[in-house]
Amino acid sequence: MVPKTIRNIMNPIDLNWLKKVRMKKIESRFILALLMITMLPWGVFAQDDLMDILGEEVGQEIEYTAATFKSSHIINGHSIEQMKKQQLDFRINHRFGQLNSGAYELWGLDNAVINFCLDYGITDWMMVGLRRGTYQKTYDGSLKFKILRQSKGKRVMPVSLSYYVDMSINTLKITDSNIEDVFSNRVAYAHQLLIARKFNDKISLQISPTFIHRNLVDANQENDVYAIGIGGRYKFIRRVAFTFEYFYSSNTSGNDELYNSLSVGFDVETGGHVFQLFVTNSKPMIEKGFIAETSGNWADGGIYFGFNISRVFALGKTK
Amino acid sequence: MKLRYILVVIFSGILFASFAQKQITKSGTIEIFSETPVFTIEAVNNKVASILNVENGDIVVSTLVRSFKFHEALVEEHFNENYMESEKFPKAIFKGRISNFESVDFTKDGNYDVIIEGKLTLHGTTNYIKEKAVIMIKDQLISASSEFDVSLEAYKIKIENAYKDSIKDDILLKIHFEYKPYSKK
Repeated sequence: MVPKTIRNIMNPIDLNWLKKVRMKKIESRFILALLMITMLPWGVFAQDDLMDILGEEVGQEIEYTAATFKSSHIINGHSIEQMKKQQLDFRINHRFGQLNSGAYELWGLDNAVINFCLDYGITDWMMVGLRRGTYQKTYDGSLKFKILRQSKGKRVMPVSLSYYVDMSINTLKITDSNIEDVFSNRVAYAHQLLIARKFNDKISLQISPTFIHRNLVDANQENDVYAIGIGGRYKFIRRVAFTFEYFYSSNTSGNDELYNSLSVGFDVETGGHVFQLFVTNSKPMIEKGFIAETSGNWADGGIYFGFNISRVFALGKTK
Repeated sequence: MKLRYILVVIFSGILFASFAQKQITKSGTIEIFSETPVFTIEAVNNKVASILNVENGDIVVSTLVRSFKFHEALVEEHFNENYMESEKFPKAIFKGRISNFESVDFTKDGNYDVIIEGKLTLHGTTNYIKEKAVIMIKDQLISASSEFDVSLEAYKIKIENAYKDSIKDDILLKIHFEYKPYSKK
């Protein structure tokens, strides 16, 4: 038996049939291709399409910058960071004696001063702080408010901005009979705007315009002190950052005993603690002290080794 | 004759697409757990977005890593900064499908055990996963739940030796989505 196709081809009369076969083949191929094209997006790429729909539905979100600094202080001064709601930061800040005090004082290690701080987040945008420090046996209370948060995405905000206010009370015994022992003579205030920007995960910078008012000062001093602070960090490896901080104060020029505060150090974070190790020419650890009353001079070794330990506790119920 | 074929194909494609029923959620939850004798880590994210296509079982999930909320702010910071690097890799994404999609009757109430498979992208690393899940249908509303472990190593999330005792390598994810029918705005 001769196969059907060959038989057909061999038949010289019925050539139309061959044409029909060709037509059908082309047509079906064409339709198959079309089918594949139309089905393709719904089949293979369907998940990407769904992803696009999801993207449109969710829209752009505000991405707030977090962890501009590792802790609520850059070194001496406050950073833009503050405790979130119901988080308590317990800090112990130490400054040893002056490095140039010689071997008898073990280069300052015999003369440590200390400052205890408790900072608590009442809300995510308001923090209240209490401190007690060796310097002038000072008690102080502070408030810190978040005003702007650096963000990208749906809302672009180039910097974070906070307002910090502190009231401190000197509780030293007044031995000078010329000074009236009234409460108001012991009080000083500090106001700061903290403007910070996290440039990337390594570099953050902060500028802190500051106003300090002391109710009682020596005769050669002004009650009001204006200052501008600049601080920053360079987080060179995970968990460790280099930090620096400088305050230029209005009362240091033309004064032989007062200096601008300069500090450099490292932030080291472990699971639950942040350690800050640094050298600074400021012994006081409160704003009115290190900004307006820094007496150490870097040039002749009048610097102090210091370290801060911060431990954060989460209070309140687990959600 | 030819034209008719073409038209049928094109229209069936369009019809198929427009009738494809999609289910969406923007408030799905993912909880993460890691418990060791030293430390317990828990976090919740209830801003997870997902679409489920009931026509073919395709499923996609997307969320910002930063949306995971921890009880301890410091742990949240470590999570974002040291481990997930959420500034560099802001999103967690899943693209996949229900592999035994035929076994679910979306018109009938009940719980259906399913297998979900696809690509999970975390920390900039993509892995193929295949996990069990349950599709629950009640009064025509579809919800989905799943629980499975995610290995940190597989997603190149490095835990320093000092914290190996505090963080498990396998983090448990508990996932729950409640979908609503999607209609184009």
